[in-house]
Amino acid sequence: MTTEQQLKLQAFLDGESPEGEARDVAALIARDPEAAKLHAELKNTRQALKGADAGMTLPESREFFWSKIKREIERTAPAEQPQPEPAVSFFTTLRRLFVPLSAVAALVIVCFIATKQFNSTADAAATTQGTVTELADAGAVTYHNYETGTTLVWLSYPADDSAQPKTTVQ
Amino acid sequence: MSSETNFSSADDQTLVKAAQAGDMLAFEELVARHRDKIYGRAFSMMRNEEEAIDLSQEAWVKAWQRLAQFHGESSFATWLTRITINLCLDQLRRQKRVRAESIEEMDEESGGVERQMPVVTVNPTERLERGELRQRIDTALGKLSDDHRTVLVMHEFEEMEYKEIAKAIGCSIGTVMSRLFYARRKMASLLADLKQQN
Repeated sequence: MTTEQQLKLQAFLDGESPEGEARDVAALIARDPEAAKLHAELKNTRQALKGADAGMTLPESREFFWSKIKREIERTAPAEQPQPEPAVSFFTTLRRLFVPLSAVAALVIVCFIATKQFNSTADAAATTQGTVTELADAGAVTYHNYETGTTLVWLSYPADDSAQPKTTVQ
Repeated sequence: MSSETNFSSADDQTLVKAAQAGDMLAFEELVARHRDKIYGRAFSMMRNEEEAIDLSQEAWVKAWQRLAQFHGESSFATWLTRITINLCLDQLRRQKRVRAESIEEMDEESGGVERQMPVVTVNPTERLERGELRQRIDTALGKLSDDHRTVLVMHEFEEMEYKEIAKAIGCSIGTVMSRLFYARRKMASLLADLKQQN
């Protein structure tokens, strides 16, 4: 018998042969004693194995075996399911809010100080600049310093007593 | 269903539905009912008590995690047995990767050895007590290679078709037929030897 014939014989025994092939194998068994013997051996082995796995018992008590399964299920459950958000305390919420609020407050303070400094500098600049005014009298020019509150008057022509400017404090 | 007492009289379908709804007591009852069968299948595949216990436990945990995927196309026991078989196959593959296959096994794979074995003409298991027969079969199964035993167990005990076995193992139907043929012939020979020894 060829390997192919042997495997076909087995498929016939297992009911896995196509109809046409099953007829051929049945004929082979009928006419070939070797095929008939092999068929009988395979059939006996199959019969012997039938139900041979029944009756095996797990060598652990129900409670112990279940406790291991339960423990494993509980251990793996959090990894399988999405984790719920943990409860957040009031103080934690407050602490979380404090950081951005502090940053905003600091920024506001910095802006306030910067603006104030800019304004005072501008005022100072304005006051220190002072104003120069030419009087109707073409021979006299006054300079008023706002910061010091001082007014200087220049006379372009010599005065009777001196050529020094006269200063008037307002 | 609210108590364990009620669960003990409930059928598998009812228990599965309750377990799918998250009832662990129902699942515990399913474990109690089928744990021996699942262990038996794992043992027949692995031939190692400790591994069989671990793998059957793993199968139950997987079953719980995948309960939503069970829609009752087969019985719960069949579904669970398939999970167990797949876990055993994975374990055998891991073991195979770290261990070189023997020359004998490679010869078996080629399909040459079984043709030379003499046909066992007398039924070696005739008139044997059930317990004794089981013991002899158990011993003989232990002498088969993993590949041959796996196919034999899946076909004879699980009643899986050639194509189902091929799909589960990841090989051709021809390989399944060849392995099954060798496994049967080897079993016949081993059982005959055991009969002679007794």
